[in-house]
Amino acid sequence: MTDATTAFPDRRARNVMWAYITTGIAIFGLMVLVGLGMRAEQAQWLNYGPGLFYSLMTLHGAGMITSMVLCGMGGLWYLMNRERAMDPGIAWTAYAFMTIGVVCVIASVWPGGFGASWTFLYPLPFVGATWPSWATGAFLIGLALIMFGWTVWCTQLLGCVLRAYGGLRGATGWDLVFHHARFEASGKAEPPPYAFAALVTAVDGLLAAAGGMLVGIALIVHWLYPGVAIDPLWAKNLTYFFGHTFANLTIYMAIGLVYYALPKYADREWHTSAVLAVAWWGTLLFVAIAYFHHLYMDFAQPQAVQYVGEVASYLAAFPPAVVTIFGGALLVYRSRLRWTMGSMFMYAGLIGWLIGGIGALIDATVPINVSLHNTLWVPAHFHTYLLEGVALFILGWVFWNLETHSGLTSSLRTRWLTGAGIFGGGGILLLGWYVAGADSVPRRYAAEPAPGPDIAAWASIGAVILVIGLIICCVEAIRLAKSPRTETNP
Amino acid sequence: MNSHSAAILVGFLLCAGAILIAMCLIASTTHDTTEPQSVVQPKGYRLRRGWLWALAAVAIVAFGISLAGFPYGKPAEADGPHFKVFAYQYGFQMPPRIPVNTAVVFDVTSRDVNHGFGIYDPTNHLMSQVQAMPGYVNHLAVTFTAKGHYTVRCLEYCGIAHAAMQEGFDVQ
Ligand code: HEM
Ligand SMILES: [Cu+2]
Repeated sequence: MTDATTAFPDRRARNVMWAYITTGIAIFGLMVLVGLGMRAEQAQWLNYGPGLFYSLMTLHGAGMITSMVLCGMGGLWYLMNRERAMDPGIAWTAYAFMTIGVVCVIASVWPGGFGASWTFLYPLPFVGATWPSWATGAFLIGLALIMFGWTVWCTQLLGCVLRAYGGLRGATGWDLVFHHARFEASGKAEPPPYAFAALVTAVDGLLAAAGGMLVGIALIVHWLYPGVAIDPLWAKNLTYFFGHTFANLTIYMAIGLVYYALPKYADREWHTSAVLAVAWWGTLLFVAIAYFHHLYMDFAQPQAVQYVGEVASYLAAFPPAVVTIFGGALLVYRSRLRWTMGSMFMYAGLIGWLIGGIGALIDATVPINVSLHNTLWVPAHFHTYLLEGVALFILGWVFWNLETHSGLTSSLRTRWLTGAGIFGGGGILLLGWYVAGADSVPRRYAAEPAPGPDIAAWASIGAVILVIGLIICCVEAIRLAKSPRTETNP
Repeated sequence: MNSHSAAILVGFLLCAGAILIAMCLIASTTHDTTEPQSVVQPKGYRLRRGWLWALAAVAIVAFGISLAGFPYGKPAEADGPHFKVFAYQYGFQMPPRIPVNTAVVFDVTSRDVNHGFGIYDPTNHLMSQVQAMPGYVNHLAVTFTAKGHYTVRCLEYCGIAHAAMQEGFDVQ
């Protein structure tokens, strides 16, 4: 068995990856504390008021997604760079734009006090603002810089995928699906599973960035020339097209890392089949059009797209449920899987993704959405697949690297403690949102109506336990990282 | 929590529990009998086919049932009483009384930013909602079958006093 360290000693590529991932993790850690601070305000443990709450909410939403995006970018770039070498200079350029963007966003919130939420639904950032105008500008410009860095990265990645497998035809696995015999005979190797994740991320990522840039620039123009009006319905469509796609791509980037590492743990192969290729074609399409479910309660929206929204949301569940998560479980079933921090996180992430997905499907059903839309059911389901899904995939990837790098693994006790903290505490946090959401408590309320505050208190206890689990996990990661390098396999 | 919401929550939790148990059972097989991938995979792929059809059946049935509950239609032209609702930072301008057992239509819009018009019944259950968007009028058809005091809450983040943005009306 080869591993990432010994087989590919390219230090320059590893530096790129670790720059992205450590930056992402640092933001993640900070945003976890912000999240706890928000839930504690809703529990009335803290009492700092709505102004700060909404600033923190804006920071947490934008920051968390960006942190996961950064980690996914680093990991996927590293993997694809081994398929076909890429210029690290371009990756560093993208990184520079993203980090400057993050600094702008942070400055807009603190000291700026910006608080229009990451969705910045036009005309909210401009009407009734409790923050100075420069903060709005800093937020929008920061977001545009993040979008720009992302575009650079996606373009480079797309180029890599297309060159590595012979254009779109090779990268999509077209011949593998439609001319199977000829493809076999040609002796060409099919792209590895994570190359499909890279292709879908790059293509949908560029589309999302175009949408985000369009609405972002429109808002910047309005900020500079308030006379220029924007249509709120168009703005909302663009915001959610960009936001939904971006948030979902964090999953599809991170799953690429799982495709690579989980089989190594299980000592099995995750190979590319025609079914896998078709599944990713589905993801490519459905992720981009499922966003309509964010506008179910906009009756002014053309009716046809409401139906498209529900169908696309349902269909988007098929590739993960039937291919990736099922495939992951099958990979593990009766294998010689080595249970370490890395494999534990990756496997647990599959569970979180699936359960969160069910919560999402329920909410994506129009008649149910009528009583769940913008209740706490929404943060309930998306935290399930982001916090107990994507974030775990990323942690799993970090530990996979640390474990192969150091030749060390963690004790059973450490794994139990981290697991209990992150899954147990996280479970309580999530359950609070589901129960409150089903009980009609609205989301994005600094002060919630009953029974919100009581549930928030339980949830905050869960969040504290979760934070303790993350701290143990962090200490363990540092222990592995500090141990002397070994060039042998674990 | 009303029975409708409780059913959704319990249904979800049962699914989540079943997934958790199934995935833990699968994970536990790594400790006992191991089998080579070439043996496990064909069996798995057969199972996967069944899983695909089962999911497809559930999705189709769910979609079919849900169609009956789509709230769109053409309430703009509906006869029966129409009530104008204006949302603004931070409140609602709307009539204080609505007739019971009557098909009414709320014509909802906003004077400034996006808001939500969420109707909470006397048991505090979110029974219906629609967005309030500036420049657009959304028509929400509702028939109230129970008398009592209803609360309207804003369900779209609209600024610093979003959580305090509420209004009430009586159904008589
Ligand atoms: C300890 C972990 C976490 C805690 C305690 C936490 C807490 C919170 C809270 C209290 C809210 C506001 C919910 C509301 O009332 O509407 C929120 C929103 C949000 N969270 Fe988290 N969160 C955590 C982890 C994460 C992770 C890992 C992600 C993404 C990868 C994430 C992404 C978001 C997003 C996108 C929002 C929406 C913000 C908005 O409504 O504008 N969170 N979180
Ligand atoms: Cu509001």
